[in-house]
Amino acid sequence: MAGILFAKIRSFIRNPWTFLLFTAMSIGFAILIGSSGNFNTIQVPVTGSEAVQESPIGDALKENKVYNFVWKSEEDMLEQVETGKAEAGVMVQEEDYQVVIGVDSANSQLVEQTIKEIYMDVLQQEKLYAAMKATTATEKQAIQDKLDTAKENPVFSIQQASFRSDDAFIYDTASHSLFGFTLFFVIYTIAYTVLPILLEKKEGIWDRMILSPLKKWEMYVANLLYSFVIGYIQVLVIFFIFRYWVGVDFNGRFIETLLVLIPYVFSIVSLSIFITALVKNTQQFNTVLPILAVSMAMIGGAYWPIEIVENEILLFLAKFNPLTFGMEVLNGVAVYDYSFDELLLPISILFFMGVLLMGIGIHLMERRHI
Amino acid sequence: MLELMDLTKTFKHTEAVKNVNMFIEKGEIVGLLGPNGAGKSTAISMLSSLVEPTSGDVRFRNKSMIKNPQSLREVLGLVPQEIALYEDLTALENLKFFGRIYGLKGQQLQNKIEEVLDQIGLYERRKEVVKTFSGGMKRRLNIGVAMLHNPEIMIMDEPTVGIDPQSRNYILETVKRLNEEKQMTVIYTSHYMEEVEFLCDRIYIMDKGNLIASGTKDEIKQILSSENSISIKADRWNDEFIKRLQDIPTIQRMKVEEKEITIVVPKDLNMFAAVAKIADESKLELRSIDIKAPTLEDVFLHLTGRALRD
Repeated sequence: MAGILFAKIRSFIRNPWTFLLFTAMSIGFAILIGSSGNFNTIQVPVTGSEAVQESPIGDALKENKVYNFVWKSEEDMLEQVETGKAEAGVMVQEEDYQVVIGVDSANSQLVEQTIKEIYMDVLQQEKLYAAMKATTATEKQAIQDKLDTAKENPVFSIQQASFRSDDAFIYDTASHSLFGFTLFFVIYTIAYTVLPILLEKKEGIWDRMILSPLKKWEMYVANLLYSFVIGYIQVLVIFFIFRYWVGVDFNGRFIETLLVLIPYVFSIVSLSIFITALVKNTQQFNTVLPILAVSMAMIGGAYWPIEIVENEILLFLAKFNPLTFGMEVLNGVAVYDYSFDELLLPISILFFMGVLLMGIGIHLMERRHI
Repeated sequence: MLELMDLTKTFKHTEAVKNVNMFIEKGEIVGLLGPNGAGKSTAISMLSSLVEPTSGDVRFRNKSMIKNPQSLREVLGLVPQEIALYEDLTALENLKFFGRIYGLKGQQLQNKIEEVLDQIGLYERRKEVVKTFSGGMKRRLNIGVAMLHNPEIMIMDEPTVGIDPQSRNYILETVKRLNEEKQMTVIYTSHYMEEVEFLCDRIYIMDKGNLIASGTKDEIKQILSSENSISIKADRWNDEFIKRLQDIPTIQRMKVEEKEITIVVPKDLNMFAAVAKIADESKLELRSIDIKAPTLEDVFLHLTGRALRD
């Protein structure tokens, strides 16, 4: 088994061009398409008096993790919205707010919803302080501590599972491009490392190995492990570049982001085996792969967020697409700050798809004597 | 030593091999002849335990190899029809890889690789990447890989396809030498009749999945002992000449090539005068008319009604 891996790695070192090409394309497209956004959080211009900026409302806006509320003068805020530099702006007062919408998009609706929630939370807190007659900072802190403790140990606990609901949808062009293009191009890289199995079988290399003391499972494991490692290295390279060169912070969960890619890469290796088992030759493979990869990217939300898709058929098809769940786990970790429990469902689905496709793929290959 | 008994292989609704029986004795070179699609490769795959037969048995040293082929696999060397090598690796790396999967290592592997490189004449080019090799060099390395573990039986599936005459001769000489010096049993499939005539002690001829003849070269040629093969040569043919030849009822078979027509006629019949007359009347200038002893090619034509490379 080690011998096969060694031979594959040697071949890869002498001919790494496919890998380099798709890695460069992932990075290039992610930067080009995502450059209209910000890799950290979406900026929303907000205007208000100094008193409001110093108030609990101002603090809550500052602490918001989803949007980066940037204080501007009223003129600047309106100009940004008018010129399309911002989808929405906000005018805040002590107990009221106005959202100025430039583009009626899912994001601008979410800005409005976020502001509404901030106001509700702050006003609820103020009412609580008033009811408890807390006036000093120490008293307020004591109430806040009790509130936090109560929140951590609720009377009822609600188990949350993915998938995202529309009302929680956050669209950040930059992160989306990075995730989408990485997951899209790695399909090609992995598929083109699985394709040689077809060629080696046709050319008789596998026949030679079958006649040797090598076990068949060793041959499959070595080949698939190689494909997995190459695919995973590609996503690691891309994500490391964006983490340490471009400065994307992945919501402070970089290691987890890398880990949740494992089931996705595994499922794509399996999908590639499945395609390889179905086609008869390289020409068919070269025809089928782009059609499948592009369809998967469109249906799975790599090019645009799946949340804006309303067609029931496309949404149904998305449920059978590893890329949908790949995007789900990446966004879950790096954008929505999902817990492990919430990530478990899409991760399990990816592993299930992987096992199923690999089982069918290898069975077909063996049965068809490919 | 090795027997194929009533071997049949059916793919969906196509019978690729039909009730084939063969035996191979230790140290002989056996040729398996037939045109493309005759079923040679399928028979070879079943013989080498790579494809399970639909029915029949493969027996090695009196034991069935269908369910437990390990003892056969250990002594088999396979030269597939395609170039079964890693093209991005050097000749040396390929030999190391295939040697290791057969359990060779260390000095033993090193010595064996050097011996094989000498035998196939690629020692000087051992550090070059295979994809830079000529077709003939790739074919030689393809054979070298199969020799690494000292197989008792070498199965060679059309090992000289698409190479220059010089490399082809080199390969044929190598096979002959391996057989003579190491008593290696060779099963050699080809559709080049002259290779089989040069190499093989015994021959099996297959067509459309059936075994249609078998025996030594002389035994097979005896099939045509009552016939003569006449070769007529000219720079070009005209339709009238060909048509008039076809109309002669005593011509049993006729093969038309660019500059040669071969006709098979009963041995006692003198066709010289008739052919010369037709040529004269058709205004065709002949270069020669020769009577030839029947070749395996003629036997094949006789048995199948078509040329071997059709």
